[in-house]
Amino acid sequence: MMNIDESRATTVWLGLLALTLGSAWLGEGVFPPGLTAAVVALIVGVKGLLVIRHYMGLTEPGSRLRLAVRLYFVVVPALILVSAALGG
Amino acid sequence: MDLAANVAPVGAPAVPGNRGIWVGILCEMSEFALMFLAWAWFRHGHPEDFRAGPAMLNAGAGVANTAVMLTSGYFAVRALLAIRRDDAIAARNWLVAALLGGLTFLLIKALEFRWNIEHGVVGTGNSFVAMYYYLTFNHLVHVVWGCLGLIWAILRAQFGAYGAADHEGLEAAVLYWHATDLAWIVIFPLLYVLH
Repeated sequence: MMNIDESRATTVWLGLLALTLGSAWLGEGVFPPGLTAAVVALIVGVKGLLVIRHYMGLTEPGSRLRLAVRLYFVVVPALILVSAALGG
Repeated sequence: MDLAANVAPVGAPAVPGNRGIWVGILCEMSEFALMFLAWAWFRHGHPEDFRAGPAMLNAGAGVANTAVMLTSGYFAVRALLAIRRDDAIAARNWLVAALLGGLTFLLIKALEFRWNIEHGVVGTGNSFVAMYYYLTFNHLVHVVWGCLGLIWAILRAQFGAYGAADHEGLEAAVLYWHATDLAWIVIFPLLYVLH
């Protein structure tokens, strides 16, 4: 019987796997490139923030470390969007 | 007792693991940030290579390795949760499972590289393929470091070094493993998904 922390970790893991399969499906070219890039950027951001919060345990409010690591998963998806917008 | 508070200045917020491992993690994330900028730069300069690139790769290997990394990260979380309830044997077993995940990642990557060679995906004359090897080889090196860290934590756990009150080293190894996972979360769509 899992406790609440173990159940949460398991739910997050299943969510991350589902998002990965979603990304793979997008790679089949079902959407136009711009929309694909937008959804991929969103998925990258969500997966990163899930790992940072639930796997790495960066939950301290006001922590500059948490801010810096979370910001990474705002900037990188933005880079994907800019790259797509520039027609790469 | 909050162990992170032992290594943080008085009044500073506690951090998981220790400050030393976070220096390493932030260095790794900065290194990969530069690689992602290089990916964007080359994608802008050679759009045809990058548009056709993902179709050249073995997408199944990319998906499998992503699932393996995430699952291995989950096992590492379970190791940390086990040691927090002072179950050192369960923690060691979860760490072994996480390590097996890392070794599976390396095996799949080796098979993927062999598949690449058989299908002519070699790093000459194509910016996308060069970037693919640049990113994946660098990440592979970090996976090896992470595996070595897990082996160290497994040995320490085996000899009773960790308990609910003292598991800073185990937590540091697990955090580094998650940082390697974070890098792959970005690398996977850049190489296998975005056309």
